[in-house]
Amino acid sequence: MTDDTLNVRAEEARSQLVYELISGASGLCLAVFMWGHMVLVGSILFGARGFDWLAGGLEDYYIAQPTVIFIIVLFLVHAVFASRKIPAQLRERKQMIRLARDLRESGSSRPVPGSDYVPFRPHVESMLWIWQVRTGMVILVLGSFHLVLLGLDVFTPMFGMHRGIESATTLARVSGGLWPLYAVLLLCVEFHAGVGLYRLAVKWGVGARLSRAALWKIEHVLFWIILGLGILTLVVLAGWLDPPLAFLLEAAP
Amino acid sequence: MERLGSQAMTEKTNTPPRRLRFEIFRFNPEVPESTPYMQSFEIDETPYMSLFIALNEIRERQDPSLQFDFSCRSAICGSCGMMVNGRPALGCRTLTADLPDTIRLHPLPVFKLIGDLSVDTGTWFREMAEQTEAWIHAREAFDPDAQEERMDDDLAEQIYERDRCIECGCCIASCGVANINPDFVAPAGLNRIARFMMDPRDSRDATDWFEVVSNDNGVFGCLGMMACHDICPKELPLLDVYAYLRRKALAARFSG
Repeated sequence: MTDDTLNVRAEEARSQLVYELISGASGLCLAVFMWGHMVLVGSILFGARGFDWLAGGLEDYYIAQPTVIFIIVLFLVHAVFASRKIPAQLRERKQMIRLARDLRESGSSRPVPGSDYVPFRPHVESMLWIWQVRTGMVILVLGSFHLVLLGLDVFTPMFGMHRGIESATTLARVSGGLWPLYAVLLLCVEFHAGVGLYRLAVKWGVGARLSRAALWKIEHVLFWIILGLGILTLVVLAGWLDPPLAFLLEAAP
Repeated sequence: MERLGSQAMTEKTNTPPRRLRFEIFRFNPEVPESTPYMQSFEIDETPYMSLFIALNEIRERQDPSLQFDFSCRSAICGSCGMMVNGRPALGCRTLTADLPDTIRLHPLPVFKLIGDLSVDTGTWFREMAEQTEAWIHAREAFDPDAQEERMDDDLAEQIYERDRCIECGCCIASCGVANINPDFVAPAGLNRIARFMMDPRDSRDATDWFEVVSNDNGVFGCLGMMACHDICPKELPLLDVYAYLRRKALAARFSG
């Protein structure tokens, strides 16, 4: 082997490491951002006043605008780098799905009805990866739509009374018929982020300190808390429930 | 652990033996005009019956042409890996009592099919060994008179833990990536790399390993589906191996 080939191999290895780091780090940032996002949207639980106060504050201090641009870039970067591992051929995908499904089913068999005894170690993570790809595709479409709308809200006066995010516009959008779209997006994002964080932790060996079972439990607790909060927020935005915490701000001047 | 759960129950209640139905993949690539098909066999279950016992019973009494591999019967030779109801497992240590009435058997995917349930794992493992140069690259010529260098107990155990692999091929069959990318060194290969990476007698340094590990055929080909770890008949801590290799790759890149 000549020195040139060695250099090419080393160069290639360096890029592969960078791709892996970009896909993992962008996913981690987006997942963490989604928790913050949940808190921001969750401000609607304090009523229109709470929501508008928070949105206005973030815009007045120019926190919202750069964040929107940063997230859009991160969203696209993650889509490019995380998708590089998705098999291109339908035949390959089918083979992976069949394998994942068989592994999941054989891992859930209980030969003695009513007993806890499982002869094979349960295994669902292969199937979860397939679902991560599926939810990723949905997020790419619905998330892009959401980001375009939000970008227009923040940077143009196209929707609502003025430039910026307004509770009236958001409420009108969700209750006016877009709620199924946001419900699907919410479910996909929480699933994708939860499983993604779990996989990232296992891949890089956070499991050396925390067992895989512990990581699995943490992932589940986070998933249900954030999803619960998300559903509550969505129900309020759709107009089916009055903001439960609005009374806290009623007395404020 | 309530091992042999349903077996114990059958004996206690004195019920007649279960009638097991085996659906076995049949194909002989040596016969050009033959096509793959599934063939069914029925046998009575006996106490503590393993797939090894069941398949021998079928071959002895029903079809002498059935091909499958066995050697040690104690999960150490790694010959009897097969797909059991869609999950790779060793035939010798899989008990029929743990399986439903219908048992579907296929040969392990990825490997070259010899016939029916028999596959050639040897060629695959040899190629992997050549690809990863899975042997000690000695620092200096061997001196038979010199005293052997001492090794730390913990490290020796770490190396031994990697060496426990019996090369049955189950992890490779369960790996989504190995199923579609023939160049991927796959779980057993990554485990082997880690084994030599840990060994202080090996002269390859972090930079040499970096090129082997840090690419799509190395540890970054792994999607983190974790099936290999969950099905490994020797219960090797494979996830720890990948995390070790990932962190080593990162360290090799940023330490100069």
